Amino acid sequence: MTQRVTGQRFRQRKLSVKQNLQVLREKDIEQLADDDATRHIPKVETGVEKGEEIEHHLQAVISAAQAAAQSGGKIAQLYIPTPDAVASKLLYEDLYPKRFTQPATYIRFSSTVEDTIGCPYCMTSEDVAWLRQYNKKHKGVPCTEDDFEQAINFFEETTQTKQPYANVDNSPVLAYEDLEVEFDETISESARRFARDIYEHWKQERLRKSNRPLMPSLKFETNLETDDADPYVCFRRREVRQVRKTRGRDAQVTEKLKKLRKELEDARFLMSQVKRRELLIREQLAMDKMIFQQRSELKEIKRRLTIKVDDEELLINQRVRFINRANLVNRCGMLTCPQPVSKPKAPRVDTQVVHRNIPGMGPKSQATRPDGRLVDSDLVYLEDQQAKKNELIDGFIEENLHKHQKWNQGWVDATWRPITPPLEQAPAKSDFRRVFTDSQLPTPPTSVSSGENNNVTAVDKSDKQNASRRNARIRFATPPDDVPYHDQSRFRRRTGRGGRIMVDRRGVKCQKIEGFDERVADRWNFAGDSSEDEQIYPVDWTDNLHIRYRIMIERQGENKSAQAAAAAASQNRKAIENHNRSVSGHLLPPGGIQRPG
Amino acid sequence: MIQTRAGRPKFYVHYEDFNKRLDEWIEAARIDLSREVEWPAPEKPEKKKVASNKADKATPKADTKSLKRSRTQLDREVSGTPSEATSVANNAPPKVQRKESELLVTTEVTDGTTPKPEDEEMDIVDVQDAAAAAKAVNGNTNNDQYSREDEIEKLRTSGSMTQNQTEIARVRNIEKVQMGKYEIEPWYFSPYPIDFIDVDMVYICEFCLNYYGDVTQFERHRSKCTLLHPPGNEIYRDDYVSFFEIDGRRQRTWCRNLCLLSKLFLDHKTLYYDVDPFLFYCMATRDEHGCHLVGYFSKEKESAEGYNVACILTLPQYQRKGFGKLLIDFSYLLSKREGKLGSPEKPLSDLGLLGYRAYWQEIIVDLLMDGRTEANIEDLGAATAMTTNDVLHTLQNLNMLRYTSKNQHVVVLTDAVIEQRERQKAKEKVKGKRTIEPDRLIWKPPVFSAASRTWNW
Repeated sequence: MTQRVTGQRFRQRKLSVKQNLQVLREKDIEQLADDDATRHIPKVETGVEKGEEIEHHLQAVISAAQAAAQSGGKIAQLYIPTPDAVASKLLYEDLYPKRFTQPATYIRFSSTVEDTIGCPYCMTSEDVAWLRQYNKKHKGVPCTEDDFEQAINFFEETTQTKQPYANVDNSPVLAYEDLEVEFDETISESARRFARDIYEHWKQERLRKSNRPLMPSLKFETNLETDDADPYVCFRRREVRQVRKTRGRDAQVTEKLKKLRKELEDARFLMSQVKRRELLIREQLAMDKMIFQQRSELKEIKRRLTIKVDDEELLINQRVRFINRANLVNRCGMLTCPQPVSKPKAPRVDTQVVHRNIPGMGPKSQATRPDGRLVDSDLVYLEDQQAKKNELIDGFIEENLHKHQKWNQGWVDATWRPITPPLEQAPAKSDFRRVFTDSQLPTPPTSVSSGENNNVTAVDKSDKQNASRRNARIRFATPPDDVPYHDQSRFRRRTGRGGRIMVDRRGVKCQKIEGFDERVADRWNFAGDSSEDEQIYPVDWTDNLHIRYRIMIERQGENKSAQAAAAAASQNRKAIENHNRSVSGHLLPPGGIQRPG
Repeated sequence: MIQTRAGRPKFYVHYEDFNKRLDEWIEAARIDLSREVEWPAPEKPEKKKVASNKADKATPKADTKSLKRSRTQLDREVSGTPSEATSVANNAPPKVQRKESELLVTTEVTDGTTPKPEDEEMDIVDVQDAAAAAKAVNGNTNNDQYSREDEIEKLRTSGSMTQNQTEIARVRNIEKVQMGKYEIEPWYFSPYPIDFIDVDMVYICEFCLNYYGDVTQFERHRSKCTLLHPPGNEIYRDDYVSFFEIDGRRQRTWCRNLCLLSKLFLDHKTLYYDVDPFLFYCMATRDEHGCHLVGYFSKEKESAEGYNVACILTLPQYQRKGFGKLLIDFSYLLSKREGKLGSPEKPLSDLGLLGYRAYWQEIIVDLLMDGRTEANIEDLGAATAMTTNDVLHTLQNLNMLRYTSKNQHVVVLTDAVIEQRERQKAKEKVKGKRTIEPDRLIWKPPVFSAASRTWNW
């Protein structure tokens, strides 16, 4: 093993693990006479403890292996001898019955040993003998082995908790009375019957073992000096590295504990609420069932009494809710009054009860339900709620608009499509008028996608359906249901800066653009005021902001093209072109896509 | 060492330079008192090291005396040539001395004083006192050795294979264990309940690994025990074996039982601390009775040294059937899944070293024989999840790393190695080869939060 040859002739390079080494067969390399060859390769340790490395059998096998590796000769197979394992005399089949069936999927299992071994106490042969004697002497129901074990186990465990140091401090064996008061669900009825008799046996056994546990147990640490040297003490707790105690750390720990406590409390509360909810749901289901049953009873009665009112309100809950209390009285009247006097009174009472039980149908005086809970007396109507919500939304928008305008006072909002249109009066309703012409005026094609339509300046509608919406200065153009949107052509006249009069058009059918001649095209040269605006707000397209913006657009474009089909992209481009041409009044970055929202 | 068992004094015999698993308790009749006993030189300060020291220093003059051993009772051949260092002494054929009466005993010295002549010719120390005596010796005379505190610190910080000096002195305490279909003779000390040193046989339930000193108790237990496989999740299954992953913290009892059992066969294993920081990968064969534990390896949930195996054991009744290689292979498969390099925790036992060497050799030679012309040690490690050190160790051990006259290192596939591999392949063809199939492993490396590690949550 030691090939330390002194007196090296030349310096050798160190072996590098990163370097590629040639792989050769033995015949390919020239034989080196001495074993210098390996002297510079550092010997790697075997990893076996030094004292054991020299053990006879290991050395025998290692040198045999070495010989095999070097000479390649046929070497007898060596192994390290170990004490034998021999077949047991116990009857394996009896002890281990064939119970295992392999599931198709991999086993997942989390029960512990304690879960699976049943009662931890197991009877010894002395116990068996005692029990046989006992059952012979005592007539009546014999004590089973399970009962016996259960009782003993109970004694053992109770002792363990009551006298944790019984094996150290020589405390006396507990009296039966002390044990009896501890009886709990871990000891069954059948075992309790024999407990007193078994106790005597247990006490004997316990005394024989000088009050140590009957089942042999491992020695765990007792925090005594002797722990360390005792080879039988095992499985100590690996102590946690002590952290230095500081006030800050204490506070931190307190915080953590508080937080934990609160979280646990929250979780508990949540669970109790969930429980309550589930109970309520159960109650409600019972209620619903009752309602259903009583309704069907009512239906029966009605049929029997040949009352011919529509059964609708008896069938569908929602419908019932919509009937307000005023015509409830009517209906009660309807039910009773038109009836011939000859009809018995009983059904009337029944219906009252039914109505009381249908939510929202009880008379107003009935503040509580029969079960004592409050009737949801104020019925909420969908329309009211919706109206309220609409109001809320409108109010919010209005408010924000005002706020925005206030912010923008004295400023010109040069952003593309500002939230507040620049200093422009809300166009009157009448501004846009339907034009009834057969011949359409030539105009650039309208923006196709409806997404482009919620554009602040250009959109309005002449139809009167959404009067309320018109109050808000941000408008959303919903195409009316009756006319296809593209068939409507609308115009608006407005007065621009310096008293210019502009006519905005929408929905005008596209004409053939190719047909223009230069002169005609020239006529529309100033149709939009975009050129004018550009003059008003000269912009340096190369400034940082714009460059950045364009980069962003570029990226967006990339993202989009990755997702969308090429067709969609081309459509986008068309839409943008159109947009640039048709939308006026605001600064448009070249080739910019910005979809509102 | 002497102890009275079953009414008659018995002597504990350790055969120097042989593994402790061959130690035995013998009766006085087998001790040959007619011969001169060579006493260990008492002035030597390192009493604990007597065995190893003497092996080195005493060899030249050890003509016929203490280094002659016979393995009479266990009847095992001392085969092959022993190491060079002891070859002189051992060349005296053991068979000559096979008669029981000629058995020579080297005593293990546990006391620092010179043996008194009127003593019996043995150093007599109560087993129970051995540890304390060893401790005293260590503490008083050997300042270069670990103090007890250092030892405990080492136990706490290093892995499960760390051994402390006092525990090396332990002697086997359990006579025999019964498990499944087998009766097994334990090899080493294990801290089973102390009551068990008096029983002839300890019965161990094959599934829950609970232990009983009384056959009636064991039978009662079997009638109640419902466990049929290691209590964890199956993470691997082929038509031969299954692997179960068991968390030491969640299955504390079972894992403790497993450790107690494996301590019977592992010398360098400590049960000083609890099983919480380990995962246990248990290999089992299946039949209608259940999943029979064949072997296992434990693995630290987080190993500072990058070990992928802490303890590894094939139960003795299943040894020499190729299970060890499966276990090792599986441990490297897990490392590959984790994307880490791994190595077994040191020290290795003798059997462990041989097992690993065989595995490493097979894997690396196979890799090199795929027709490549260049190899790099790091890449070899990466492909096999072996540390570069282990690759280096293997190549070197097989004499495959050479230095050419061109001033270069080369890897040589020696004829001997190739021949060995071919022979092995031929054997596999006859017997059938068992391998671990990576596709059948359904497993993600478990993650443990810092809290669960520090606070035992």
